[in-house]
Amino acid sequence: MIACILVPGFELQAALHDRPRLCLRAAALAPLPGTEPLLGPVTAAAEAAGVRSGMRLGEALATCPSLVLVERDALLVQTEWEQVIRRLEDNGFAVEPVEPGCLYFDTRGVERLYGGVAASLKRALAAVGSTWNATAGAADRRFAALAAAAIARPGQAVVVDDERTREFLAPLPLTLMPLEEGRRAELQDLGIKKIGQLAGLPGSAVAERLGPDGRRAWSLARAEDATKVTARTPATDLVERLEFPEAVANELTLRRALTALLDRILARPERGGREIRKVALSARLVGGGSWRRTMTLREPSGERGTLRAALGPKLAELPAPVLSLGLELLTLSESEGRQLALVPPEGEELETRLQEGLRQVRAHAGAGAVATVVEVAPWSRIPEQRALLVPRD
Amino acid sequence: MSARLNAAARLNEPRPALVAEGFDGSPQRVNRQGVEVVREEWRVLDRWWTEEPVNRRYFEVVLESGQNVVVFRDDERGCWFSQRGA
Repeated sequence: MIACILVPGFELQAALHDRPRLCLRAAALAPLPGTEPLLGPVTAAAEAAGVRSGMRLGEALATCPSLVLVERDALLVQTEWEQVIRRLEDNGFAVEPVEPGCLYFDTRGVERLYGGVAASLKRALAAVGSTWNATAGAADRRFAALAAAAIARPGQAVVVDDERTREFLAPLPLTLMPLEEGRRAELQDLGIKKIGQLAGLPGSAVAERLGPDGRRAWSLARAEDATKVTARTPATDLVERLEFPEAVANELTLRRALTALLDRILARPERGGREIRKVALSARLVGGGSWRRTMTLREPSGERGTLRAALGPKLAELPAPVLSLGLELLTLSESEGRQLALVPPEGEELETRLQEGLRQVRAHAGAGAVATVVEVAPWSRIPEQRALLVPRD
Repeated sequence: MSARLNAAARLNEPRPALVAEGFDGSPQRVNRQGVEVVREEWRVLDRWWTEEPVNRRYFEVVLESGQNVVVFRDDERGCWFSQRGA
């Protein structure tokens, strides 16, 4: 079975961790600067005052003048989420994180360990921690697991019977479907308000009226989506952070701090001489915000100069003076060194280099980003039956 | 095609297309663009012995923008699709 763990409003919960008193007041996550002024998740008190997530900022402040806007803290969210994932991984769950507050795992690997699906979910919820108000759901399809987790109460797990997935989904509201607001409104105008009503429509009519997104939503509603869980490779814990006694905005000082961080992180014995493929640079900004940039290197490198040249320009993107600067090694190469070629590579070496390139693409774009075209029926008169795209992970 | 794949997917899957057809059933407008010329037309009848028969009328057309597109009408489902690799 596929299990889903949901932490509703994770970004807001993370931001309120060190300000617990705000949890009891009307508070909402502020919109990102430079984006449409729409509110993020809101607290229960804000909801009681009529403020909803996704509401326009002006409308929300008019509805509830005492609303407190909480600034988004990307670094804190990332750190807290990583800790949640690691706690789950420490308990034996091979998880696929989708976004902060939502992840999937396959229960097959842990059912015998914990004594069944329900016990595994209970264990997973305990690993996440009771402070996050997480919910869990399990079903034979990803979307059904997500829907089960979405309707569960905090700390509760809902398990959907294998043969009753469609029956389970049918009475649920369309708001659970991953559809654009316009498409959802269009369906509601046509009287389609439940997932079961959407599933009952002819597929061709849905595709013609709502396009590929509608067709996908239709197959999700019919529990036909067979997407499996692709667990991540547990991350390496190589992080170095430098705290400044006072806020620093001077680029020269920041570059020196970066050099010091590089020296410290390259000397870490856990690296074992392996080269760095993907790295993240983060900063805590003066005034409470944070900043984070990830970067995949064109070629893995363990040289300080190369890394400094690659990361240095990122410091110019810092939006405000910083209180601390952090460096994290996200992906390392598998080998320790590379032999340069005197003659053009061919045969096995060419293959090795191709594999290396593919690993680089995967590190940047994620698992499943590289696929092979496999001809299955090249003689077929039906074009889509001639070849398959098969992931090369 | 989406950037990530978790399972094998078919290449050149048909995509729903918005087609306005003329009196003879040939496309006049494809995805809100006028059709300049129909270059070729052919029919694919296959798998009629299965529960999922294929009955398609293909058209290779040139649009006002100069773009070459292959569209077909699926006579089983009664709707239009565009497709690459046809």
